[in-house]
Amino acid sequence: MFLNRGKHLNFPATNLKNLFPGLTYVAGYSALHRLHPLVKLVLLVCFTLAVFTVPSIHGGLVLFVLLLFSYHLAGLGTGFFVRKLRFIFIFGFLILLVQILWVKEGYLIWQFGLGRWHFAVWSGGLWGGLGIVLRFVNVIGSSYLFVSTTDPNRLAYALMKAGLPYRAGFMLITAMRFIPLFRMELALVKNAQMAKGIELEGLSPRWLLRVVKHLLVPLVISALSKVDFLTMSMESRAFGLYPTRSYMYAQTMSFKDKLVLAGTPLVLLFFYFAFR
Amino acid sequence: MVKTVVDVVDLSFTYSGSVSPALDKVNLQVKPGEFLTITGASGCGKSTLVLCMAGFIPYAFPGNMQGLVRVMDKDTRDYPAGGLSGIVGLVQQDPEAQLCTLRVNDEVAFGPENLCVPPEMIEERVRFALDAVGALNLWERQVQTLSGGEKQRVAIASVLAMNPLLIVLDEPTANLDPKCTREVLQVLERLRREQAMSIIVVEHRLEKLLPITDRLVTMERGRIAGDGAPQDHRKTYIPSPTCLVENNKKIPGPYPNQPMLSVENLRAGYEGGDVLAAVNFDLYPGEIVAVMGDNGSGKTTLIANLLGMLSPREGSVRFKGVDITALKVTKRARDLGLTFQNPNHQLFEVTVLKDAALPSLFLSTNPAEKTERDIYELLERFDLLPYREKNPFTLSLGEKKRLTLVSVLAYAPEVLILDEPLVGQDSDRLDLLLQAMREHCGRGGLTLMVCHEPAVVASYCHRILFLDEGKLVVDAGVQEAFRKLAQLGREEYLPDGYPFTVRSKEARRDVP
Repeated sequence: MFLNRGKHLNFPATNLKNLFPGLTYVAGYSALHRLHPLVKLVLLVCFTLAVFTVPSIHGGLVLFVLLLFSYHLAGLGTGFFVRKLRFIFIFGFLILLVQILWVKEGYLIWQFGLGRWHFAVWSGGLWGGLGIVLRFVNVIGSSYLFVSTTDPNRLAYALMKAGLPYRAGFMLITAMRFIPLFRMELALVKNAQMAKGIELEGLSPRWLLRVVKHLLVPLVISALSKVDFLTMSMESRAFGLYPTRSYMYAQTMSFKDKLVLAGTPLVLLFFYFAFR
Repeated sequence: MVKTVVDVVDLSFTYSGSVSPALDKVNLQVKPGEFLTITGASGCGKSTLVLCMAGFIPYAFPGNMQGLVRVMDKDTRDYPAGGLSGIVGLVQQDPEAQLCTLRVNDEVAFGPENLCVPPEMIEERVRFALDAVGALNLWERQVQTLSGGEKQRVAIASVLAMNPLLIVLDEPTANLDPKCTREVLQVLERLRREQAMSIIVVEHRLEKLLPITDRLVTMERGRIAGDGAPQDHRKTYIPSPTCLVENNKKIPGPYPNQPMLSVENLRAGYEGGDVLAAVNFDLYPGEIVAVMGDNGSGKTTLIANLLGMLSPREGSVRFKGVDITALKVTKRARDLGLTFQNPNHQLFEVTVLKDAALPSLFLSTNPAEKTERDIYELLERFDLLPYREKNPFTLSLGEKKRLTLVSVLAYAPEVLILDEPLVGQDSDRLDLLLQAMREHCGRGGLTLMVCHEPAVVASYCHRILFLDEGKLVVDAGVQEAFRKLAQLGREEYLPDGYPFTVRSKEARRDVP
């Protein structure tokens, strides 16, 4: 007999969807949007270097203010920053809490007792924690700004023009092309499971594993089938026929781009000497 | 000048792992500028022949190839891998999976860029190709925002930009609604008229294609069964209007006492806004109802609301008078059986037999032994029993569609909601499916079917619900609905030669 009805145990389902923000390009025409993608990449690298080479809290705060100003410059605003990075803030707060509770160095700032429990905040824990949180927020925030203001298509073509092998460049482009598609397919497969009567909330561990398998198999098969179509489509259009390829657009840098490119390392040096 | 663009001589091909040949001594010549249509039942070897002509066989698909395929007087095996790019252009049936870049202009430039065409010439070619398919206005558009028809036009343009001598299109309209199908066929007609290139189209849906075809080739079991002027084959492949009307009379009628499924004032959508606005209808036991409309008109959103996959912003769904709007999908699924447009999303198990049985584990109220018996019977009836121990993902599209229907029929829901169930079925299997729907309706069940085949709707459905931009603009019996669609100028949704297809001028005169 192949029909074997399973019994389910109830487990609460947790919805973490709203906690993790979508990391996508936000189209716009701001000064940051218009910068050449490679210049923005250099800016990001320099900013990250500054975050790690400037150890003081003051330096971190200045970089944080600079980051907020950049969000404003990009037309995204601080509201966007707070909304999209709330998960980072929560995580940063937890790091700060751990530092405060566990690091007992420096001088005592504040203490209080609650029955048997005794809490103390030491300067080493507070400033050390704040420093780590600032670094964390600055690095993630700047990367998020880069993604939000850089057209991924333009970035990939710019990288290929700059010498990235075109096969690797198109791996990036096709991945970006198919990510929204697979996200949509995941939702479809989940719906298909429910339409077959498979309850996704409150499953026994055995059925949970089976459901995950049922979720993954159609997705993998769909991905492979799309890869087949895509490979044929690309190969029939001479992809990989020659070691190099030409490009319709030159992806040239403007005078402003060159100016920013030249100025960025100087600003990095200034920060290093001002806040080291 | 060469006499033939493609010359296929005694071609046989057997895929690795298969015992029977996919192609068996095929001979075919394609002349410069010729428009050739290839048709035949599922699995007859059409796609294999196309892959041979495009040079993918034997390079990309292992197997035993005998005979010759010459393109421009040169054996395809003498071209280097990918060497036919720029000579033979291939457009496939899935408009979604064959576009590899993010913007339309990059997509069309992709081929010439790979051929190392100088940059100053690439833009010229891209403009020419997009203009040829009437898609210059899509230049800067993001690929993911295009409709199915637009994607297929861009796919054709991306091949055209390489200046091929032959374009091969493998079921280019298989996933498209009638409006998008018309767009693609108009492009093909324009190419035939204005460009001196040969075009081969592999297609099941011939009604609209035959008028622009020079030659129709029919295939059966890997062989060429017919080759000649399309007029000679018209009778065999296209049902006559009289037959449609006669068929329509044979369907059991509905029992219009109490509605089985009702939708009241339904407003629904996604983050971007409303997709459905104030939709109302009642469906009765014994009815077969076709849901028609362009891509994006709200058909999928309607189905998602009926099943509870999407919550309406306003309005309600009732089953036999009971409000089920707040009921979970898994609770509704017992009475409302759904098959998806893409069967790959609905196959979960490792064997055909297990997959057919999966929903019954949760939804069947019958004893397990009876359900098992029913499943075996259904598998046999739908020609799937020989594959019962095979992995369902190895089946053809038509077989997968039949399997998803079997899995639903096995637990006998009262309402069948079928999203394009007829795609990929040859005429025999089409009859099989439609017969099953008739029987379901004869037992007092209700079938709601998304269908883009006007001829089938005319033959087998009682009613049409036609959605346009989220509004239910037609809800009427088939004949009345076709009359209204003719008045609305939606001729692409009318079967060829149907008595109420009063060709445009007269019909449009009545539009208020």
